[in-house]
Amino acid sequence: MSTSKRPMSPYMLGPYYRFQITSALSILNRLTGVFMSIVTAPLLLCWLIALASGPEAYAALSAWLGSALGKLVMAASVFSFSFHLFGGIRHLIWDAGWMMEMPQVRASGWLAIIGSVLLSLIVLGAGL
Amino acid sequence: MQNPLARVRGTGSSGGGSHHWRSQRYSALILLLLTTWVLWMGVALAGADYTTARAAMSSPLNAGMAILLAGAVFYHTQLGLQVVIEDYVHIAALEFLLLIFVRFACLVAFLISAMAALKLVMGA
Repeated sequence: MSTSKRPMSPYMLGPYYRFQITSALSILNRLTGVFMSIVTAPLLLCWLIALASGPEAYAALSAWLGSALGKLVMAASVFSFSFHLFGGIRHLIWDAGWMMEMPQVRASGWLAIIGSVLLSLIVLGAGL
Repeated sequence: MQNPLARVRGTGSSGGGSHHWRSQRYSALILLLLTTWVLWMGVALAGADYTTARAAMSSPLNAGMAILLAGAVFYHTQLGLQVVIEDYVHIAALEFLLLIFVRFACLVAFLISAMAALKLVMGA
């Protein structure tokens, strides 16, 4: 039995569907989650290990966090956290069965974008 | 929240029911509740020197919150990465290895976090 000829549902991004906020935010929620899994969570773990290891290890990690790359990673982490937070709240609201009409879904999508950018700026502005 | 009907009908080709889905939502809710603490600590300890950071993490409340956070974070991470791997990795052997690796890595990460937090609170 050949499986390659079966009709497949095309991937949500790409030439088959019009680009729209629903699919863009869906993949962004995943991307920010994967980014935090691979970068942010291990970095927090390193911070805790460094703090428990002593002043030298802590100073080395602090120096790296203060570098240009460290600052970029922190900024990306703060944005990922903010967006995944608002994206997650949207999902929890949908799971409760609320706000599932298309105009509401688009509106909550824009709210998530604006909210996560604002929260990122506030947190980064507060010194993180 | 599990309907008794699910036990009668069986749960289909996945071999499991709604456990993964519910676990992901419960851990998300715990993380949502911890958000305020995470932001508070993050802003308070950003760029802090060793003595300040050490003093903050020596408090039993903060150490307990850190262990709770690590548990929720790495559980949610494992559940989330599992779905991404199941969706996008189509080579069966690689998928299996990645799923095992993610589970193992998240468990180890949680254990190390808990030990580091305990070490800090006990002042060793």
